[in-house]
Amino acid sequence: MFKLALASLWNRKASAILTVLAIAISVMLLLGVERIRVQAQENFANTISGTDIIVGGRTGSTQLLLASVFHIGSLNQTLSWQSYEYLQTLPRVSWTIPMAMGDSVRGLPVVATTADLFSHFKYGNRQPLRFAEGQAFAQLDHAVMGAEAATKLGLQVGDELTVSHGAGGVSFSDHDDHPFRVQGILQATGTPVDQAIYIPLEGLGLVHGEYVHEEEHGEEHDHGDDHEHGHDHAVHHDHAKQAPPVYTLSAVLIGLEIKPLALRLQRQINTYTGEPLTAILPGFALQEFWRSLQLFDRALLAISSLVVATGLLVMLTTLLASLRERRREIAVLRSIGAGPVTIFTLLVSEALLLTIMGIAVGVGMLYGLLFGFAEPIQMSIGFQLRASLLSPTEWTIMGSVLIAAISLSLIPAWRAYRNALADGLTVKL
Amino acid sequence: MSNACVTLNQLKFSWPGAQRLQLDIPQLQIDTGERVLLRGPSGSGKSTLLSLLAGIHKSKPGQINVHGHDLGKLSQRQLDRLRANEIGYIFQQFNLLPYLTAVGNVELAVKFAPARRARLAQRGVSVRAAAQQLLQHLGLDHNSQQQLAQHLSVGQQQRVAAARALLGAPALIIADEPTSALDEAHRDNFLKLLFQECDAQQSTLLFVTHDATLAPYFSRVVELEQLNQAAESTHV
Repeated sequence: MFKLALASLWNRKASAILTVLAIAISVMLLLGVERIRVQAQENFANTISGTDIIVGGRTGSTQLLLASVFHIGSLNQTLSWQSYEYLQTLPRVSWTIPMAMGDSVRGLPVVATTADLFSHFKYGNRQPLRFAEGQAFAQLDHAVMGAEAATKLGLQVGDELTVSHGAGGVSFSDHDDHPFRVQGILQATGTPVDQAIYIPLEGLGLVHGEYVHEEEHGEEHDHGDDHEHGHDHAVHHDHAKQAPPVYTLSAVLIGLEIKPLALRLQRQINTYTGEPLTAILPGFALQEFWRSLQLFDRALLAISSLVVATGLLVMLTTLLASLRERRREIAVLRSIGAGPVTIFTLLVSEALLLTIMGIAVGVGMLYGLLFGFAEPIQMSIGFQLRASLLSPTEWTIMGSVLIAAISLSLIPAWRAYRNALADGLTVKL
Repeated sequence: MSNACVTLNQLKFSWPGAQRLQLDIPQLQIDTGERVLLRGPSGSGKSTLLSLLAGIHKSKPGQINVHGHDLGKLSQRQLDRLRANEIGYIFQQFNLLPYLTAVGNVELAVKFAPARRARLAQRGVSVRAAAQQLLQHLGLDHNSQQQLAQHLSVGQQQRVAAARALLGAPALIIADEPTSALDEAHRDNFLKLLFQECDAQQSTLLFVTHDATLAPYFSRVVELEQLNQAAESTHV
């Protein structure tokens, strides 16, 4: 029976191929959207890990999250160096990473921070940052590049770069009298870290003129050496007390010794009286932000579902249209003893065949695209799309498409069944 | 009665919703091995009678016996099975599945017919060999046998259709105006071959046509208008 359905389909191969293609494209779209959705969420959740609290000036939690973790947008409100010192004195604080942003190198964000970033910042499944080449900055004119930033700017360890004021691609106020030297390049992480350029806070202070003692330059080198040897907060602290490297910070990442304390500390920071501060829990903030994206997400899913429905309707149309020209065929089959049920089965198995082929071709096209375009996408927007095996959800989607197709095929099958009973052996043309 | 292939008794049939009877046949018997020409003009109920005999439609009052089976007592499935096993049907035109080869079309005959397969097995020939043999007898050479049905001439198509009806020696061959699309020379040739093969496997032949000139070829001619009381009453 299946062989007969196949031969019959082959006889109508032009419309059959178009139908298969329509189903294939729609299935590819649906699976593609689902895959992007899932992997976007994964990428998203992987951007930061191990950080318990992010603190910024008075601002929205999404804004703070986007600016501090994704380097998207800017923070109008800053927090003072005094507030940063206060944060360090909070109980059970294990480490802090101060961040000052706002400068850029040809559109790529520059983050001024301390070397603590390289020892404490974690992403994905608690993975630390690793160096592909070189090492962390030790002097105030050192810079560390994210993997993609280095590729995009074509810089290697030892090369010089100039930081521009402002986040725009082209800036008229280059700090070109204070070039930085690339000291290290980080391994690729698949997170916004790859896009960023890291410089020491003191370096930023210097180019912004906040670090007033120009003649202290020599001493600063000493300070950098200190950094290499004695790697703890005390060194910072003492130094900062005399003259802070910068007066204001954009955000501070905090790691706690006892994770459950985060909620209490968040409240304490939010009610700090010295300066209005905003503290967010990155896990919650990420979820909240993701939830706000879900509307877009659902719209995309709804659209691709509708495309699948269109694909299946194309099949239904083709099958119904074919019934007329197939009345002869059905009469011949009836004459050799095929029952109406057989005719019914023939139609359903034909739809089944078309849909299975459509799904198979669709999956093939999806993987073709994934293999072909995963790398350019990663390069251009830093979004990691993996050609992993089909997930249970994707199998469910394909199963639903198949079930929907079979249900739809009952319509032409039922018609053929009725025709078979009514027409009998007389071929009405 | 034992050698009757088809008997009709007090058959009355009207289409659902129709006022008048389409068929009203008190009695008809066709013996096994007979070659009967059933003649009647268009609209006289020929097609209806054939679909009743083939078990596509059922007649409530009256009795139809085909090959010893009372059709009224069979289920839809049994009717389909009986048709597959014991009736070879030749249409007027468009007999074949265009996407199968000539041989493939003939082999189709036994797809739903275990009894026909069994008869071939008894003779010790494969379905394919039997199909090829039949086609050979009916004048299709090996090349044409392998061609797709849609590439065959109308005359060849009708011979393939005949071969499909004959394969596996069903008891009754029903031919519904199979020669109307053929010219005279092809028609005579077709009839000759069809008779030969029917005789060879002792199949009964019921040949339906509106064409009276075919009468001399048959051992018996039945005029449907005389047989059918319903038709007569409308004429008067």
